[in-house]
Amino acid sequence: MSETITITLNGEPTSLAVAPHESLATVLRRAGMFSVKYGSATGETGAAAVLIDGALASSDVVLAMWADGHDVTTVEALNTEPALHPIQAAFVATGAIQSGYSAGAMILGTLALLRRDPDPAEDAIRDMLSGILDRESGYVKPVEAVRRAAALMRGDGVDAFGPLVLPPMTDGTHAVEVDPADPPPDASPAVPRLVPSVDVPDTAVVGKPEVKVDALKLAKGNPAFTDDIELRGMLYAKVLHSPHAHARILEIDDRAAVALPGVHAVIHHKNTPRVKYASGGQSWPNPHPYDQVSFDDKVRHVGDRVAAVAADSIELAEEAIRLIDVTYDVLPAVFDELEATKPGAPVIHDEEDTTEIFDRERNIVHHFEAERGDVAAALAEADHVFERTFRVHQVQQVPIEPHISIAWLDADERLVVRTATQVPFHTRRMLAPLIGMDVKQIRVIKPRIGGGFGAKQEMLIEDIVAHLAIKTRLPVRLELTREEEFWASRTRHPQTITFTTGVNDDGSLHAQRMRLVGNTGPYGTHGYTVQAVSGLRGLSSYNCPNKRFECDVAYTNIPVPGAYRGYGAPQALFALEAHMEDIAHELGRDPIDFKRQNWVKLGDELNIAPHIGERASDSELVLDEYPRVMSTGIEECVAQGQRSIGWHRRLDPDWRAPADRPTIRRGLGFAFCMHGTAIPFLDMGGCSIKLNDDGSFNMLVGATDLGTGADTVLGQIAAEVLGVRLEDIIVYSSDTDMTPFDTGAYASSTTYISGTAAKLAAEVARKRIKERAAEMLGVDEPCTIELRDRRCWAPDGRSVSMEELALHTLHWEDQEQIMGTASFVSPDCPPPFAAQFVEIEVDVDTGQVEVVKMTMAVDCGVAINPVTASGQVEGGMVQALGYAHCEEFAFDADGRMLNDQLGPYKIYRADEMPATEVFLVQTMEDSGPFGAKAVAEIPKDGVAPAIRNAIVNATGVAIDDLPFTPERVWQALRRADV
Amino acid sequence: MHQIVGYHRPATISDALALLGDGHRRPIGGGTTLRHDGGAAPVEVVDLQALGLDAIGDEGDHVRLGATTTLQRLADATLVPDLVRRLARAEQPSTMRTIATVGGTIGAADPDSVLLAALVVHGASVRLADGRDVALSAVLERGLSAGDLIVSASIAAAGRGAVASTGRTPADTPIVAAVGRLADGERVVALTGVGAVRRVSGHAEIDQLDPPGDFRGSTAYRRHLATVLYDRVVAELS
Repeated sequence: MSETITITLNGEPTSLAVAPHESLATVLRRAGMFSVKYGSATGETGAAAVLIDGALASSDVVLAMWADGHDVTTVEALNTEPALHPIQAAFVATGAIQSGYSAGAMILGTLALLRRDPDPAEDAIRDMLSGILDRESGYVKPVEAVRRAAALMRGDGVDAFGPLVLPPMTDGTHAVEVDPADPPPDASPAVPRLVPSVDVPDTAVVGKPEVKVDALKLAKGNPAFTDDIELRGMLYAKVLHSPHAHARILEIDDRAAVALPGVHAVIHHKNTPRVKYASGGQSWPNPHPYDQVSFDDKVRHVGDRVAAVAADSIELAEEAIRLIDVTYDVLPAVFDELEATKPGAPVIHDEEDTTEIFDRERNIVHHFEAERGDVAAALAEADHVFERTFRVHQVQQVPIEPHISIAWLDADERLVVRTATQVPFHTRRMLAPLIGMDVKQIRVIKPRIGGGFGAKQEMLIEDIVAHLAIKTRLPVRLELTREEEFWASRTRHPQTITFTTGVNDDGSLHAQRMRLVGNTGPYGTHGYTVQAVSGLRGLSSYNCPNKRFECDVAYTNIPVPGAYRGYGAPQALFALEAHMEDIAHELGRDPIDFKRQNWVKLGDELNIAPHIGERASDSELVLDEYPRVMSTGIEECVAQGQRSIGWHRRLDPDWRAPADRPTIRRGLGFAFCMHGTAIPFLDMGGCSIKLNDDGSFNMLVGATDLGTGADTVLGQIAAEVLGVRLEDIIVYSSDTDMTPFDTGAYASSTTYISGTAAKLAAEVARKRIKERAAEMLGVDEPCTIELRDRRCWAPDGRSVSMEELALHTLHWEDQEQIMGTASFVSPDCPPPFAAQFVEIEVDVDTGQVEVVKMTMAVDCGVAINPVTASGQVEGGMVQALGYAHCEEFAFDADGRMLNDQLGPYKIYRADEMPATEVFLVQTMEDSGPFGAKAVAEIPKDGVAPAIRNAIVNATGVAIDDLPFTPERVWQALRRADV
Repeated sequence: MHQIVGYHRPATISDALALLGDGHRRPIGGGTTLRHDGGAAPVEVVDLQALGLDAIGDEGDHVRLGATTTLQRLADATLVPDLVRRLARAEQPSTMRTIATVGGTIGAADPDSVLLAALVVHGASVRLADGRDVALSAVLERGLSAGDLIVSASIAAAGRGAVASTGRTPADTPIVAAVGRLADGERVVALTGVGAVRRVSGHAEIDQLDPPGDFRGSTAYRRHLATVLYDRVVAELS
């Protein structure tokens, strides 16, 4: 049943056929308004916000028929010129657009706000943004963008947006006493504070706040994401998910679903090949066990797959799902990792064809240990021994774009999968055996992605659309709803962590043992590697001659944990930084001084790293040399952070217990953060560059920009090498048919690994360009040619333009295609460092914690783009804040998630954000491209322990489990009688 | 989520009432709660936007709020008491506030609604299409009958307000909130998060509450918060 509505759409009267149940968002997208994005069906993400009669409104919660007669504006209304509208330009200039998935909504909100108020106060800007959830920016740069847009619309002049360059406070090596009277720099919080290093060479493009290469399409809302294509005859898939946490499927009766007109296929374990795999997007060979199949006769968590259908419409697919009759034998379930490993717990993988489970009966999928020195003996002889156990909980990545995949057979009957993935090449390889095709018969396309954060480092739904497309020979689309995204995609591993540390009288660490039980849910996926990274990060920050890691990874019946930005480090560093803080207090030491005494410094060995992980070495004998810290800016980070947060206040009783607010206690907290940069000997990136007629270059990269700005950073690196502008590099990522291999976007690897590949490929092209330029200019030695300002310069000052050289080499003489291809795998993993500071207030009568300010000072080597790098830190800190403070999966006794909507699952919004400041402390990392190390994950590491330690500073009470929600804090305060 | 199988936009209240006489139909203002209420049965919706119920009227010592007035208009209207404006803003974020309505908020009767608490302490009375005026607190306690149609709510204009709340984050829907108003020497306090939004008169009454607990707050914790937050509001209004 459909009716016709008439709306004024972007100024034009428009008649649209709609059905009563359809949302305005659905109808607008069908009308070609691709800027309107799906984030949920209930309005809370704001990704589908449009202007209705000039007011910002979530069009996914509005019935299309309700909109009949109204005036509707989408961001397409602003796209009347090739140039960007001033509001769009402001968002682009300030780096406010990361993935751009919700950019249209923010730009429209700005338009409506500025019509009402041409000079809005910050509160009004944040209120406007309050309905648009952003998982990427921390709202810092969007607020700046609105301010800038207001100025542009008023006709006021604006300055170029870029970093505030600060003088260093230290000599780069030694700690300094920060003068409390020395005020922190005064600038907009959106402006990155950049502390340069003298050993970083001058560059033309690298290190500059260049505008993102994909900014235009994102700001205009042009069709660029997975769902933004239209394929004739496309079918819609839905998945039947298990209502039980643990059950055997006794029977599936699909006859009624199959018989429903418009249903093209129904697949489940009875008609789908049983091929074992592990879904984590990792290098070949994926860590065992292979404990999954596309459809099983057993379900192991609420939300596990039972069946899938493809039908002419989503509604028909949903109806068909309801018609599938499944008979379950419900089994006992277990959710806690410690309970799961006790004798008598339900056995989650009792099937014979899953092999390589460490202890099937106890649900222990992996057990591993690593040791340096002799920890037992060292603990026995230590002057002081401390032990503490921490529990960290389950949260989710929550990309605003949920998982979505579309598959079809192309004219050659090869399978094409257009999908929101961080790992297109792994997906191609992992998909092949499941569908009985060779890798060469599969093409995976990664268009723009609306955030991933690890959730999309997984072959999650691609096999379902592939099975259905092959079966129906029609295109098939599957998009998870917000609710499904919560319990049927991936999450962060809960863990129970116990640190035992032996300390000498002089404060030096003598022994440190980390025992970890990780909860990987019912499937291994990233279970081995995430827990390995926990061990690696938990035992790498501090020098200690005796270290030991003991780890069990447990199967349980919770929704599946997987990769989540930080990948085991946030859990480990919460425990470690809390434990080290407590030791400092016990020993009567200042926490920073105590940590500083022990943390790794320039030249120190990272002596546990080679013994943990996928390429772990069991023997010390095979290693003649351990990796070492080759660059660190931590002392500068600490000094800048202390000044920013006002660290001297932490010992001031009048500040901590303000007389005029008797129930409030204030505190400051610190965490030392060290992360990694890529996985040595494993992560590999490739790049290919070719010269075009006009002196521009096409650059093809397998690296996967998820909205992080990776394409831009790689383009800047190539432009620097080739002496051209960033706009002369046309970056394309990624398509398994066209772009070189790349392991994908994970492990903080893209800038360092793929960036080096881009640099090497550009250098190959540059070598040939110099040779040809030397010929054209009559210069004997090509190495004397310099490339800059889009020209090739001879030593005597004569030059030929890149365009002239391109035309000459492509068309005129000794014709050739100048191109460079290279790949890179690193033997090194240079650690970025950071100092995380927070200021909090605790209401001791209610337990409510308010985070007032967060400052992170990061040494990420040379930030290739300080604006996008600071955006990574701002967004990462806010995700980390959610982890520490308010996000959690809540379940009923049967394992059903109670809060599978945003709101009940609480992520921070723009009108409640703490103040944030980001400092980029440069160091020159010689192993990285132009000195770069990683920045993507380290912002996830320090917020939780810093808040925990700030609560200790405020109240004296230490809380060892997350998140710091009001009742948990109140109970802890009550127990301590505060 | 309900399966929506029909849509009606009546032009008069009598047409709306005739449509709603059928139990399968539901009135909607903006429709924001329609997809949240967990029902699965097919329903037809009766959209009230054409009934002209979106006025905010000055009635001397009272203000009348039309049922289809959006929360954004409430938040922006200088005629509306500050406490109600402030909590209309807090009730929903920007993208929902422009669609959600006063009538829909009353009809949904969310136990966590701070806007309902503000209306309650402003002595709200709900006018139904049949002309009856029912105290909002009675509506929240007993619910509406099928076929009842809210056309407006009337609130007292005067008074000074105070709010104390506890949530996971500053803009979180409070776990418990106390909302108070002082007018003509009389102090009224209402609570959210303790079961239906309700007026409370003091500790003895709070001690008798048995709020349903959930992952955000157990029964005992909610009762504790109710006491603490009640006291804060009372202190602020004293």
